[in-house]
Amino acid sequence: MNRSTLLRGLGLAVLLAVAVATPFLLDPRGYAIRVVCLALLFAAMAQCWNIVAGLANQVSLGHAAFFGIGAYTSTLLLIHFGLSPWLGMLVGAVLGGIAAFLISLPTMRLKGHYFALATLAFGEVMRVIANSWSGLTGGPVGISVPFAPPSFAMMQFKETRPYYWLMLAALVVVTLVFVAIRRSKLGYRLRAIKENADAAEVIGVDTTRTKITAAVISGMLTACLGTLYAQFQFFFDPDTVFGVASISVRMAMIAIVGGIGTAAGPILGAFFVIPLEEFANDLFSSRAAGLSQLVFGVLLIGVILIEPRGFMALGSRIRRLFGKGGRP
Amino acid sequence: MTSDVPLLSIADLHAGYDGVDVLHAVSLSMAAGEFVCVIGANTAGKSTLLRTVSGLVSARGSIRFEGQELVGRPAHRIPGLGIAHVPEGRHVFPDMSVDENVMLGAFSVRDAADLGRRREHVLEMFPRLRERLGQAAGTLSGGEQQMVAIGRALMLAPRLLLLDEPSHGLAPKVVDELHDTFLAISRSGTGILLVEQNTALALSVASRGYVLESGRIVLEGTSAELSGNDAVRSAYLGL
Ligand SMILES: Nc1ncnc2c1ncn2[C@@H]1O[C@H](COP(=O)(O)OP(=O)(O)OP(=O)(O)O)[C@@H](O)[C@H]1O
Ligand SMILES: [Mg+2]
Repeated sequence: MNRSTLLRGLGLAVLLAVAVATPFLLDPRGYAIRVVCLALLFAAMAQCWNIVAGLANQVSLGHAAFFGIGAYTSTLLLIHFGLSPWLGMLVGAVLGGIAAFLISLPTMRLKGHYFALATLAFGEVMRVIANSWSGLTGGPVGISVPFAPPSFAMMQFKETRPYYWLMLAALVVVTLVFVAIRRSKLGYRLRAIKENADAAEVIGVDTTRTKITAAVISGMLTACLGTLYAQFQFFFDPDTVFGVASISVRMAMIAIVGGIGTAAGPILGAFFVIPLEEFANDLFSSRAAGLSQLVFGVLLIGVILIEPRGFMALGSRIRRLFGKGGRP
Repeated sequence: MTSDVPLLSIADLHAGYDGVDVLHAVSLSMAAGEFVCVIGANTAGKSTLLRTVSGLVSARGSIRFEGQELVGRPAHRIPGLGIAHVPEGRHVFPDMSVDENVMLGAFSVRDAADLGRRREHVLEMFPRLRERLGQAAGTLSGGEQQMVAIGRALMLAPRLLLLDEPSHGLAPKVVDELHDTFLAISRSGTGILLVEQNTALALSVASRGYVLESGRIVLEGTSAELSGNDAVRSAYLGL
């Protein structure tokens, strides 16, 4: 092992230790820790999105479909059968994977905007179904996670701290999956497709199958995070978990702002976007509800205009400026 | 395998895009290890011909490789049969290193020792790539990128190599180097189907050629015959 990987590993270990210890610095019943929890969760979600969009260049705007499937699956299984959300999460993951497979079949040959629009439509169809199938989902009024005595087994806790560690663990797991995929043969295939689909095909990459594999992994993980969200929020409705703005676009935005295709990008993006959003909401909510969204939107556009490849690219640009020679 | 089975045998091939045919009743044949070129002007359908052999363009008619029918096979199943395609343009993976690009050519090859040997063979053929193994392929010169693309194709140890305008946009000195490279590849027993607008280059390396005009084969013969043909001389060699 050379010195720079050693330093890198050390840095990551310190960072993780700080992340694990952070809740002790925050008011356990306060507002800040909830915002951080959401930031961790959204970082993980953006990382899932990063698997298809960042590695294969398939910009999905329908990931809310998998997220909602996860949230509803575990919650309904808990309500009707008292099933532990951990098991519900696995069932949700399977269903999320199946949904990803089914939507992939017709959309995989689409490129760019067409793929984005088709996936967007898929997410919207799921939202409409969840709203109209009241018998199953409770419809537009939403659904509550039934209260259980706090325990790890039921994924319910009295305080916010355990949720924090749960979200942190989820983020670490999803990030490790992302890194593992990127380094695997699958990752090479995805990169090859992203950089040059025809050249990939003529060296024998099964482009359709490769893209579907990535989509299924991403869909399964996203569904798992839907369960975490449900357990954390205790209440949700179709417009929230299947929402275009609330979930699909936000996942994409976070990854893009942070740096699409990089492992750290979604994390940086989430810790920029989520607190900013909360702050904007706070600042303007009393005066004009829509204004916060506007300000938020403008800020994001600003970031993207300044550096379309996100904070990660901005970082290396600054490093280069100071002559330390970051990777281009 | 008997030697009288052609390496590649194309018969009555029709292919095109969105229902409009670009190739009309194309027939072409080459023996194992043969070096054949297809010459023709812009938009004659040269690239389409190679892309059809590779399965990237759907077709009617017959394409047999060592006797096996290729029409109807998905593109990703073709390389495994022993056909490598170097597409038109600088088709490297720009953000990957030279080494990654080259190694990706054989990602379906399981035997690690074999991989190492092939990589060594490619690097012997292109010593300049050895000096730049870690460099992102997108930052190489045009000629070097073409070497990467060819090296990547050779990693498959193909019996048929499809080359699409490898000389396009390269300096004359680099074209000369490629010329030698092609002859070396051919000498090693690999069959080459070369498509070129640079007719002089094509006829100087290949032993036989076909002339493609508006999607139809209008002439075929040995390189010497074609070089001496008045129509070829005036239309393609500018003599
Ligand atoms: N992807 C495509 N979709 C639709 N039409 C195409 C496509 N690719 C090529 N064509 C058309 O097919 C015809 C033949 O193109 P092709 O690329 O095979 O010619 P070529 O002989 O390789 O030309 P060049 O020497 O310029 O490379 C052209 O008229 C072209 O416009
Ligand atoms: Mg061409």
